[in-house]
Amino acid sequence: MNDNTSTTSTGSTFFLQLKDVSKSFGTHKVLDGITLDVAEGEVVAIIGPSGSGKSTLLRCINFIAAPDTGAVIFEGHTWKTFHSKINFLANKRYQKKLTTLRSDIGMVFQNFNVFPHMTAAQNVMLGLTKVRKMSKAEARKAAESALSQVGLSDKFDQYPEKLSGGQKQRVAIARALALKPKVMLFDEATSSLDPELVSGILEEIRRLAGTGMTMVIVTHEMNFAFQVAHRIVFMDQGKIVEIGTPEQIRNPIEARTKAFLSAILN
Amino acid sequence: MKTNSYKIDWNVIDKYMPELLKGLSITLEISAVGMALALIFGLMMAVGRLSTNKFVSRISNAAVQLCRSIPLFVLLFWVYYGLSLKFNILLTEFQAGALALGITGGAYMAEVFRGGLLAVSVGQTEAGLAIGLNKGQVFRGVVLPQALRVVIPPTVNVYVGLLKGATIVSVIGVSDMIYVAQYVSLDTFTPFELYTVAGLIFVCLTLSISGFAYLLERRLGRSRAHG
Repeated sequence: MNDNTSTTSTGSTFFLQLKDVSKSFGTHKVLDGITLDVAEGEVVAIIGPSGSGKSTLLRCINFIAAPDTGAVIFEGHTWKTFHSKINFLANKRYQKKLTTLRSDIGMVFQNFNVFPHMTAAQNVMLGLTKVRKMSKAEARKAAESALSQVGLSDKFDQYPEKLSGGQKQRVAIARALALKPKVMLFDEATSSLDPELVSGILEEIRRLAGTGMTMVIVTHEMNFAFQVAHRIVFMDQGKIVEIGTPEQIRNPIEARTKAFLSAILN
Repeated sequence: MKTNSYKIDWNVIDKYMPELLKGLSITLEISAVGMALALIFGLMMAVGRLSTNKFVSRISNAAVQLCRSIPLFVLLFWVYYGLSLKFNILLTEFQAGALALGITGGAYMAEVFRGGLLAVSVGQTEAGLAIGLNKGQVFRGVVLPQALRVVIPPTVNVYVGLLKGATIVSVIGVSDMIYVAQYVSLDTFTPFELYTVAGLIFVCLTLSISGFAYLLERRLGRSRAHG
């Protein structure tokens, strides 16, 4: 399943790579030996039934969920889960290093997860001041520009309570983009939205794809996935069943992929 | 009947009001210092209980259970007399009283804080980590401010409890309002009037604190909705 990498759209060096990543919750194996390469500028969409491990896979990329085994290789640097039972200082050093990885990888969540005690601008500024060490004034400027880009130029000082689901998700996208990440992860970014707000967020993601941003997208919006992604990954029961270009996946080799798609698309 | 021989005389209140109010200020001070200690102890124990480190969480849990189950009365004696007898640590009555209140209140606050911290969704922590904040920054900037809002009403409850608990500190000789009522009535033989007025002052105090908490909660309420 890994020899499909020849179909990547740009470049030949792997920008982001998951190597034999596994993770269990209790006795349930959520990810079972996942290996996946993503090239720079590539858009990869992950599809599959609920509980297939798509979201966990995404979370393992920035170690929001720590893989039990396996590694993430990003820009030539190998990241593995580290935890010492006795050496707290080593744990702390490792956690600090992880923040550099995470700040280069933006993530957008299904439930938005905007900070409710902060205005839209403050949501975006938090990472800029604390992680990118900008001054308040610089951060405010950058936050305003990021929010304007997602169409929220009139909402800088609104609290999330006063925003619609779509606007909250835009704040979350601006919060991630303001840090100038090299990869964006979208975890079912439209699944909690009212139907009429879905297309706006999808448009936002499409626009981002147009800028050459490397993206890994977990989605239930099949049509969107097939339009925007360079490659589609079909997952089931913690394993990658099939990887290919949208054309290839439209005519899948694996029976399970076929069954899933025909159930979804009809 | 014996009760008929007790003549209620409210004039004594006029005469001793300044003394009672002086006692009240001691009550307020000792409960405020006790509450400050309770907030610190409570937060430490709550964070400890939620620690992923099993050793830390067990120790904190044990501390909470222990501090919660010792009667304040006994704790006062241990802190005031015990520390000086066994360890030669000499505390003033006020310090010992505040410390004992802080320990008891801390155990209650630990539970309150734990509930508040757990009420903040995991997604908030994940979002904080995802933008590259470290765990401490996520705690201070994202989780704690949201937890504090949830925690205000039960915190006021704990403080009201401490305020009333503060009346017990008279047993080690802190000259709080109850102590004043007690020793004045030894002279005047009017315990009924003095304790009644002291009680009414407590009721007024408690009600105004609850009112203040309500206003505070409403003010903070605007950003409390789900994000």
